[in-house]
Amino acid sequence: MFELNEVFEKLQALLEKKGAKLYSFEISESEKRELNTEKTDFNLLRTIYDNNAAVSVILSGKKGTAAGNDLTEEGLEKLVDDAMLSAESSMEDDANAIAERQTPETFRTGPWEADMNRFYQALSILLTQAKKDYPQVNILQLIADHTQTHSLYGNSSGTRFEHFDGVYHVTVEMSASDGEKNTGLNYMGLSTYDLDTPLMEQGSIRSHFEEAQKSLLSAQIDGKFEGTVIFTPDCLGEFLYSLESNYMMGSVIMDGTSQWLSRLNEQVASEKVTLTLASKDLRITEAQPYTSDGFKAENVTLIEKGVLKSFILDLYASRKTGRPVTKNGGLSAVMEPGETPLKDIIAQVDRGLIVGGFSGGEPGANGEFSGVAKNSFYVEKGRIVGAVTETMINGNIESVFKNVLAVSREQVWDGYSALPYLACGGIVISGK
Amino acid sequence: MLQDIITPQGKYFASGVQSVLRGHENRSRRVVLLKGSLVQNVRAESRGISARVTKRGRYGFSSVASYSEKDAERVLRAATENALFLDERGAFPRERYPALPSAQVPVNRPILDTAQKKIIDFCREVDSYIEKTYPQLLSRTVVYTEDSQDKIILTSDAASGHVTYPRCYVYVVLSAMGKNGAPVELFKAFGGAGGFDSHFSDASQLNPGIEELYRHLMNKTEGVYAEAGNKTVILGGMMGGMLAHEAVGHTVEADLVLGGSVAGPNLHKQVASPMVTLVDFAHTAFGEPTPLPVFLDDEGTLAKDAPLIENGMLTGYMNSRESAAHFGVEPCGNARAWDFNDEPLIRMRNTCILPGKNTLEEMIASIDDGYYLIDSSNGQADLTGEFMFGVSLGYEIKNGKLGRALLDTTVSGIAFEMLKTVDMLSDRVTWSSSGFCGKKQPMPVGMGGPDMRCRITIGGR
Repeated sequence: MFELNEVFEKLQALLEKKGAKLYSFEISESEKRELNTEKTDFNLLRTIYDNNAAVSVILSGKKGTAAGNDLTEEGLEKLVDDAMLSAESSMEDDANAIAERQTPETFRTGPWEADMNRFYQALSILLTQAKKDYPQVNILQLIADHTQTHSLYGNSSGTRFEHFDGVYHVTVEMSASDGEKNTGLNYMGLSTYDLDTPLMEQGSIRSHFEEAQKSLLSAQIDGKFEGTVIFTPDCLGEFLYSLESNYMMGSVIMDGTSQWLSRLNEQVASEKVTLTLASKDLRITEAQPYTSDGFKAENVTLIEKGVLKSFILDLYASRKTGRPVTKNGGLSAVMEPGETPLKDIIAQVDRGLIVGGFSGGEPGANGEFSGVAKNSFYVEKGRIVGAVTETMINGNIESVFKNVLAVSREQVWDGYSALPYLACGGIVISGK
Repeated sequence: MLQDIITPQGKYFASGVQSVLRGHENRSRRVVLLKGSLVQNVRAESRGISARVTKRGRYGFSSVASYSEKDAERVLRAATENALFLDERGAFPRERYPALPSAQVPVNRPILDTAQKKIIDFCREVDSYIEKTYPQLLSRTVVYTEDSQDKIILTSDAASGHVTYPRCYVYVVLSAMGKNGAPVELFKAFGGAGGFDSHFSDASQLNPGIEELYRHLMNKTEGVYAEAGNKTVILGGMMGGMLAHEAVGHTVEADLVLGGSVAGPNLHKQVASPMVTLVDFAHTAFGEPTPLPVFLDDEGTLAKDAPLIENGMLTGYMNSRESAAHFGVEPCGNARAWDFNDEPLIRMRNTCILPGKNTLEEMIASIDDGYYLIDSSNGQADLTGEFMFGVSLGYEIKNGKLGRALLDTTVSGIAFEMLKTVDMLSDRVTWSSSGFCGKKQPMPVGMGGPDMRCRITIGGR
């Protein structure tokens, strides 16, 4: 084990000794305890001790980065030398910069110490409960860990952030079977600080077991039609990521391929859509308290009632494009819930799908997508008919968020994001 | 490369358990030029030691991000404690898997370092050529990416050795404005196993490939949407490789078979046209080194080819030592780990559908109304064999001739149904090896196949 504060001082001294005037770095030390099952039998226990260090240096406008996991004095010296050499080899660019000084702060989030006996017990209860409530669902694998991470960020502007974080993660892969009939794979992830609430009732765990069980009742779609799609919170997360990548992130703003390039403060989506990037929150356990540029993270509104309020630009992209920097790492999306219960949204669907997963090609720059609807259910005249297979959906990412029919009152907080169900029209649905 | 401090540590192996100690270093280099601006310039290395200890079929694992004799002793002790913890709590007894013959595998190739400046200069030369030659592009990106794994493996009851896996690629991504006012994009990867100098001694060697990419991109700017439905298509070799990997390969990984994949009840049954033979090659295929050769896996199994489908019949699975014992077969060396802190999982190596006798020209000429699908952006498959590939490059076939280019689309199907429709295979194999397979951990894999004529469901408006 290293005394991380001592490593911080050594690294800073080394950088200054070697003549770096503009630099930033982050070092961390972590311990992970991970339980794995094969089906419902715990068959692997892992204990992982890890370190990480990343150093960026800017020399005469030229930036280089080196990363490694050796925090010994020799390791740090090599890391700094690599970063300096990398910077010397680089290209001068006025957009390279170090963020201005932030008030030094220490963040403490989540249970620092793992309570493995309680965690083991909570997982055992989850497995028992799943077997009782969903007897036709087979758990293929459960992976669950507690990870404690101590991180320190520093830069040449004098910013120093320290973060102690402890968090539990649970992922479950499952399918259902009934005699010779088997469903496809269903999986979910949860990040939580909470061992008091039964795991089955957290995030979307129960809804995934229900989905898997209900998938045994199949429905067939013949031909092609334009209909309504209700995206589950998990699937909505995938589409939001595509929306951000294709329209809002630094790379598409810098290269000019975003079709929202000149649409700031304009209506780009339905008035029902309000989308925020969250900073650290008791329920958004995976959000980071500071960005990789060294800004203290803030909640950032991307879309407010359909109006584009911000792009997602790190410091480099901000300076490159002359637009404001986004003080958020951009990973944790929160979409405001609506007022309609999910069951009422389903009741209003004439013909369409509830889509729990999307297996498709990554949308191109034009936002067009097509792919297979996974863990999905056919809805006709307000009633769920059954699970579909070999069914494709086709549409455009931008249109999905323009043609919103309803946003559910229910919102799933799974530690990574907080998202509702979202219904939209105009999606081409094609069966076999 | 790693100094061998691992081999003398066998003295710390506990009795009554099966142990594997692994010294492991991963290295990566990444340079990204976006429209001439250097937006990433990173060198990264991670090194550590892991131990996996098995007590009556239950595994303990531990790793530490440092590399000394003391660390080796520490992780062996922690992994042993973890295995005993689970063994004591296990609800039912599990079987110990059999020992394998011991052997010592020597280093097969070196991992060489390249100066960052040399990499950046190379990327700038490629970028400058594209900017100068194709001024009408909307955007261009040149990416250099290199990753290597260096492993020293010591086992208590199998083979040991020092193995290395270096590979490097240059990706060229071009985008242009389509006729409907929305951008279209294509990319191409250059490179393969080995270091920078094996592939990138002269930037101009990439020019013909970039020219071909640009020509396809210009065709795509005039592209049309595919017509949705079940169509006769030719899947190009890259797509065939994706099919071999995603749609079939994953379903015949023994851990997924035990999890209920469609391959379980289909062993020794006809799952494909008799023309189809599929093999997961270890280190040599068709008399040449495979794109990513594997000689020893991370459980100490000497790597050999794993036959999967022979003349349309499903003949076997890919196994770990444990699953091989379960199915009563010999393991072929498929258990691999990505980083020092990862445990070995059943992974593909170089999965390939064997070629046939037709030429591509004959195959195109045989189709009145269909598609030639050349390259894929990504792919996924399910336990049921239901698969999806994104198609980034393709053309219509009309009356035996290539027609207009396609805009991005997706194909899907059920592997064991779709493979039964294969009725022509070309006489050439196209390999790809630049991506990562994702299954708890990333893993470099090779995949290949011939052009295949088949029926498949294509998405479209």
